Amino acid sequence: MVSANHIRVASRCLALAILGGLLLLPETAAAQEEVASPIRRYKDREASTGYYEEYEVRPRRERPFVSIPGVREGIFPYSPNAAQVRIRTRLADSHQGIKFYNGRRCEECHIQETKDIHTVRANLTCRQCHGGEPIASNDHYYSPMNPIRRHAYVCAKCHEGASASYASYVVHAPNPSLAGTLQSFPVLFYAFWIMIVVAVGTFALFLPHTILWGIRELFIKKEKTNREPDDKD
Amino acid sequence: MSPTTKTRIKRFTPLQRIFHLLLMLSFLTQGATGLARMYIETAWGRGLSRFFGGYESALTIHIYVGIFMICGFVIHFIYMLFKIEWKRFPGSLYGPDSILFRPKDLKDFFHHIAWFLGITKAPEFDRWGYWEKFDYFAVFWGMIILGVTGLLMAYPLASSRIMPGWGLNVAFWIHRIEAILAMAHLFVIHFFIAHLRRHNFPMDQAMFQGSADLEAARHERPAWIARLEQSGDLEEALVAEAMPAQRVIYYVFGFAAVAVGLFLLIGALINVPYISW
Repeated sequence: MVSANHIRVASRCLALAILGGLLLLPETAAAQEEVASPIRRYKDREASTGYYEEYEVRPRRERPFVSIPGVREGIFPYSPNAAQVRIRTRLADSHQGIKFYNGRRCEECHIQETKDIHTVRANLTCRQCHGGEPIASNDHYYSPMNPIRRHAYVCAKCHEGASASYASYVVHAPNPSLAGTLQSFPVLFYAFWIMIVVAVGTFALFLPHTILWGIRELFIKKEKTNREPDDKD
Repeated sequence: MSPTTKTRIKRFTPLQRIFHLLLMLSFLTQGATGLARMYIETAWGRGLSRFFGGYESALTIHIYVGIFMICGFVIHFIYMLFKIEWKRFPGSLYGPDSILFRPKDLKDFFHHIAWFLGITKAPEFDRWGYWEKFDYFAVFWGMIILGVTGLLMAYPLASSRIMPGWGLNVAFWIHRIEAILAMAHLFVIHFFIAHLRRHNFPMDQAMFQGSADLEAARHERPAWIARLEQSGDLEEALVAEAMPAQRVIYYVFGFAAVAVGLFLLIGALINVPYISW
């Protein structure tokens, strides 16, 4: 005979099973667009696709000591347990305090950062490199974007074998023609302007030269039998 | 006039014409594949890239044709060493038959401009005009700049071992500006001089046939012809006109190259505002 006690136990088991089942299911993805919220949208997408942050690749030749010319001098170690930097709760949130951050899109503030080759040509989204929330500043010790590990944790996702030097490529390169680039990336600024001077100089010389030549030849009296240059006008 | 009459003067050897032909084909391929990638944000660029199998394979073609060009450049450099008259070296380098610049070229340049403006009579050019020497050495300078920056970008993992990775940002812009300069120079200035100016209109056959019309050469390069006549070498340098069928092929080929060049030039100019620089 089924007692009231049995029904109570069975219903409790059923409730627990339903709750457990809900925990196992992935959260539903609310949208495909890329927004800043770790709770409402992006994390859902990551869970449902298993995509961005789920894998990583080590450099092909793992070297114990690396230095980045022009970025960091000397040598510094990295080790397998550097993987601890993946622990999200240790990251600082560089977007802390921004109002309505959850509903905003990256490019509303970072406009210039959407205009480089990685974004417009390879169609990468911000999160494919910068990861989920919270996004720490590049210099934060535990950030995957920190130059001491960027090559392994970010670049090598696509560029297998990326070295620390390789990762010093400036993905969000400044416009080389602007005066501000003289401060932020002087070599690029000078290389750009020297090349522009060479190119414009070549044209400033040869374009008028060629146009005048074309016009002048229209006025030659061409007499093939005459051996003298026959333009004595 | 029978086709066996020797009315033309030898200007380029078959090997030199093959060098030019390969350079022309590979340059147009590099221009098209490079622009296809640069303009991938536009319909024009995507159409162009489709011709090469898409964005990724356009790069593969660009890299391999680039390596082919570098090989051709090295082979041409070795060829050049064989062509130098070592017996009269270094005097042979500064003679009128040498492609190297000499002081007279600077004089010719200003003389030529004075002629454009109606101030003096036309300069009497020798075998190689200063603009031809410029075009020849422009390829050297272009090959070195584009070849080096191109190799750095084609093998970024290797190149970032010998230089900081941010050097690739610099290499990218140098490669881009030099390529734009090279294409604009060829598709505007080189094509104008070889096709549109009255002396050569509709097309200068010299680089395809290997010879130039003697009377036309006498008109533009009297110093060269006079020098050959004086030394008695003129007869030896004369050749007959190519067969009509051959000339048709040369014309079709030359105009096809112009058409491709103008397509790239105009398409690129129209789409300049629509790409992220």
